[in-house]
Amino acid sequence: MNKIANATEGTAIETIQINVEVNGVAYTRYVEPRLLLSDFLRQELGLTGTHVGCEHGVCGSCNVMVDGATARSCLVFASQLDNAKIETVESLGRVNALHPLQKAFWEKHGLQCGFCTPGMLMTAKELLDRNPKPTREDIREAISGNLCRCTGYQTIIEAIYSAAQEMQGVANG
Amino acid sequence: MAKETHFLEMSRQEEQPRSKYNWIGKSMKRVEDPRLLAGKGKYVDDIELPRMAHAAVMRSPHAHARIISIDTSKAKKLPGVLLVMTGKEAAEVTGPTASFASPPVTQYAIATDRVRHVGEPVAAVVADSRYIAEDAIDLIEVKYEELPPVVDPRDAINSTGDAVLHPERGKNNVAMHRVLKFGPLEEDFAKADHIVKRNLRWSRVAGMPMETAGAVVDYDEGTGKFTIYANTSMYNYVGWLIAVSLKVPASQVNIIPTLAGGSFGSKLFLHKVSTIAATLARAVGRPVKFIEDRMDNIMSSDNHASDRIYEAELAVKGGMMTGLRFKVIDDYGAYLQYGYGTHGNALSQVTGPYKIRSVGMELTAVFTNKGQQGAYRGFGSEVANFVLERLVDAAAAELGEDPTSFRERNLIEPDQFPYKIPTGNVYDSGNYPAVLKQAKSMLDYDGWRKKQAELRKQGRYVGIGVATCQERSVFSSTEFWFLNPNDAPGFTLTSSPEGIQVKIDPTGKAFATINAPFWGNSPETMVVQILAEHLTMNPADISVSYADSDAGLNGTGPGGSRYTVMIAGAITGAAKKIKTKLLKVASHMLEADVGDLELADGHVSVKGTNQKKSIPEIALHAHYFRLSMPLEDRELTSGIDATHVYDHPFTTMPKEDRSDLGVFYPIMGNMCHMPVVEVDIETGRISFLDYVAVHDAGTVVNPMTLKGHIRGGTAAGVGTAIYEHLHYDEAGQLTTASFADYLIPTAFEVPADVRAGHVETPSPFTEFGIKGGGEGGRMGAPAAIASAVEDALRPLGIKVESLPISPRALRAKIRESGQPSKA
Amino acid sequence: MKPAPFRLERPDTVQALCRALAKHGDSARILAGGQSLVPMMNFRLVTPEVLIDINRVDGLDYIRLDGDVLAIGAMTRHVAVKESALVKANVPLIAKAYEHIAHVTVRNRGTIGGNLSHGDPSSELPAVAICLDAKFVVSSAEGNRTVRGADFFNGMFETDVHSGEFLSEIRFPVAARNQRFGFEEFSPRRGDFAIAIAAVALEMNGDTCVSASIVHGGVREMPGHMTDAEAALRGKVVSSEQITLAAKATVSIEPTLQNYHGDAAYKSDLLRALTARALSQAIGEG
Repeated sequence: MNKIANATEGTAIETIQINVEVNGVAYTRYVEPRLLLSDFLRQELGLTGTHVGCEHGVCGSCNVMVDGATARSCLVFASQLDNAKIETVESLGRVNALHPLQKAFWEKHGLQCGFCTPGMLMTAKELLDRNPKPTREDIREAISGNLCRCTGYQTIIEAIYSAAQEMQGVANG
Repeated sequence: MAKETHFLEMSRQEEQPRSKYNWIGKSMKRVEDPRLLAGKGKYVDDIELPRMAHAAVMRSPHAHARIISIDTSKAKKLPGVLLVMTGKEAAEVTGPTASFASPPVTQYAIATDRVRHVGEPVAAVVADSRYIAEDAIDLIEVKYEELPPVVDPRDAINSTGDAVLHPERGKNNVAMHRVLKFGPLEEDFAKADHIVKRNLRWSRVAGMPMETAGAVVDYDEGTGKFTIYANTSMYNYVGWLIAVSLKVPASQVNIIPTLAGGSFGSKLFLHKVSTIAATLARAVGRPVKFIEDRMDNIMSSDNHASDRIYEAELAVKGGMMTGLRFKVIDDYGAYLQYGYGTHGNALSQVTGPYKIRSVGMELTAVFTNKGQQGAYRGFGSEVANFVLERLVDAAAAELGEDPTSFRERNLIEPDQFPYKIPTGNVYDSGNYPAVLKQAKSMLDYDGWRKKQAELRKQGRYVGIGVATCQERSVFSSTEFWFLNPNDAPGFTLTSSPEGIQVKIDPTGKAFATINAPFWGNSPETMVVQILAEHLTMNPADISVSYADSDAGLNGTGPGGSRYTVMIAGAITGAAKKIKTKLLKVASHMLEADVGDLELADGHVSVKGTNQKKSIPEIALHAHYFRLSMPLEDRELTSGIDATHVYDHPFTTMPKEDRSDLGVFYPIMGNMCHMPVVEVDIETGRISFLDYVAVHDAGTVVNPMTLKGHIRGGTAAGVGTAIYEHLHYDEAGQLTTASFADYLIPTAFEVPADVRAGHVETPSPFTEFGIKGGGEGGRMGAPAAIASAVEDALRPLGIKVESLPISPRALRAKIRESGQPSKA
Repeated sequence: MKPAPFRLERPDTVQALCRALAKHGDSARILAGGQSLVPMMNFRLVTPEVLIDINRVDGLDYIRLDGDVLAIGAMTRHVAVKESALVKANVPLIAKAYEHIAHVTVRNRGTIGGNLSHGDPSSELPAVAICLDAKFVVSSAEGNRTVRGADFFNGMFETDVHSGEFLSEIRFPVAARNQRFGFEEFSPRRGDFAIAIAAVALEMNGDTCVSASIVHGGVREMPGHMTDAEAALRGKVVSSEQITLAAKATVSIEPTLQNYHGDAAYKSDLLRALTARALSQAIGEG
């Protein structure tokens, strides 16, 4: 039983059972209907890589993948996600084994404070999944729903462009 | 002003700029990044303590009201609620938050008997989850008696009775009125052959980092100690002020910094969230997490930026600008946490890069029913840049001159440094003509002028803007108080140091501990590059950690583009001590005189020989083998460690009568921004066709990260110039209170390519000649964009005098000029 | 900013959905993509007692050519509509509008039915629906009823979906060979809600306009026809002068939806400019 359900002694808060796969690991949890996916990931599962910037669906810091497509985790309830597959930034790579996108962001200075970065990376991953050879305009369009207050976006676009080339190069052997 | 070489005598510079470095000047990948990229950075909302409870605040729906009563009984009964506290209840145990204004303005983190802006907290709830805390807030019943809201700052000057926000301060809402004069002002205006006048408006925006402010506080009832995790700064400078608010000795508060997801000045002190969380933790007996949500942050984070109305004039004689004078009304909002520092700051470079020799300022600071001002990237100087550059453009236009030629003639010349400006501040070094020239060349200014002429024939409105602006760096604390009334100067502090602790462990690895937080600037990378340079070590062998306030040394933190310069000074001082120790220990190991040794490539060697010892070898010896070294040397202790606190490299006191403000911001960078824009006159949309930004930030430690500040700052400047506005209506309601209406530029609104150029005039005062560049493009972009838009609409005779130049506002001006749509 | 508590229903079939709607009536709201509803819930501007999550209901997600009608299931995600070859080929005005709608992530979950039944006047699709006289299929336990576009939008955030009902399908007329379309919008940033919209559909006979559907969006509580502009083109050769006249005729529309980003005078200016551009766009593809 999750903490939020437990906390309220004496009242029956209806919880919903969800079976979700997050970053390849299966979980069964009982969640209050209104628990946002962002809070489920961060508080219930301890996956704090996904960040919360606005809670009204504008900034994109909370972007994760749900069934292969990015979603604003602040606008989805965990209770909706029975049988869903979720991927967060933690699935992309580890500090000692960074994904080409993460490496490219590092090389090109595509981050400063790092707060928008996980959401930005998931958006970038989705773009490259759908379009492995994006133009810079394609990239600009793809990240236009992710706000960054630090970089001015230029180095982010360069990073994604560079990662795409690297991944294509690898793919082509 | 003649070149004032005597200032150079005050230089404490130990490390001159070099022609060749090992690590300084390299675009090294940041050491901060791997954990941030992997989603493993620890921000304040990532902190989880056992039994931690969650807090939320109830926000006032009214701009101005008395709190008549608060009924918390229903809220308290909600299952999962641990505590409900009103402002009055909080005030019984917690005093007001710190005010740096003099006379101070009393502010309680949770309003007690009166609310003074929409969004001000009136009660707080602690519950098992943030969800339940917000449910409880909906059950709190507050009775308000509405008071007249004061929204227009000009009205604030004449407020009376219930419209006065702080009756103990005065009969109206004027916080301060002050007149300052520097240089032969009357003479310059009397003798001018041309006087330019502009009325200008700089509207209210805010830093809006993607991460809001927050604190997690653990109160240990056994020891009475508060442990505060917060994304704050200045905890090693004035953190003890939180203890004062909490009514405990300073030894009872420890502040631990977390990574901050951006700040831009808004997280400078964060007394509010820390004080609220600490008060609640003490009362509830469990750790308490209070993270602002976005509404809290936009409405009530105490970090709105300058909100000013100017009547400004520029005196010109024989094509040279002589005098500048302005009346400014600044709308500080409901409180005055940082005093008038944003005006003091502006006086550091109010005459820009020009030879203007007299300045007159009449400042009226007012209170209104809005969120209060804090600090935002520029801290008032970006506004002064805008004001001056509009006047300069106007002068060039009215005199029929090209705006770049007019500027060029008026620029301080490269051989005139150190240069003292009329207010008393000094510019340490610079080559302003070179910056302007490079910008024009990179842009192909002449080429764009030709293109502009052709495009105009096609009925297109294309403009080329120019702004040549200063970016001062490394503030002195005198600017916090020298504008305070002479009879109430307040706390006249003159220190703003930066400390560092460095040790080398037995394995030869270096550990640096800094006393300031990470904000998205690159403190770890700066430390690693500079320390590696000094100790000839590999950056991979250096790690950096952050001291909390218990263990920390005095460190003022990031802000005013100061951190890299100051930490370079601290590192230089510490490295000197470390080097001395390394050489001393090595001298025993190598049986040589210290004078015959040198440190290079991570080794100490006897000059001209192959005899050397590596740093790890020396360190091991130093840590563990004291008896192998002479016991008579009583100063020789085991280990290798040093601390150093570095004070401001060059600052002097203001004169008593404030006819000279002293030197307070002399490490002076410079920039030239040249945007090319096109205006769609039917819709008011502004598009960028090109953008060049040339910056001189002295010796550059990491060109890649500096470019990040140029571009990121330019993006912020685009937002300020065109898209962003904290807009209050006549009732004091904030109409742009969420990200749906407060428009932060996306990847589409910024120029596709901010072409960044570079000029380097090292400082004679700082270590290696480094100057600060953190405030970056925001210092010049708004001025440059205004310049470009006005140039684009020159055929219609439209002047840009007010920011933001939103599409709606711009179209209104176009309509008023009599220009119909093409249709 | 957390939503208030609610109970969640998760019907798997249309029948279960209808039962849930009938059972809860006014105390329930439908949760489709959530991109419009959940922000309002997080702000606590709406606090439904029950949310009916229709994301698990089979059979509401389709794009079908049905004679001279393109039928789109209400739960079809924006991303599917935007990328659909059927839509591009048969209802090009929808494709044009989608160049302005939101951002990738929002389009992944947001649905065409959710958007239309939300009835936001600053949204693009309601203007398209009115311009093309689309039909809305509203379903309930009692069956289906069809509502004309003009009758579907009743006010700001008010549509003709009553308590116990849900929008199941939207039916767009397939473009005729002699039809031309244009869509223009002004929003402060790319992807934002529109300050003003002009959507046009022209039925042409050579260079002459047989009939014109010129619709405004984002300026009043509901999108609507700009009848004076339509009259200015009806039966006329669509020259640039005629386009100018039609655009000028939009002045008779009084913008009543005003906020910080757009006052009435600005929206009037925009309507005029956007109408001219939309008409030029339509003709330009002749």
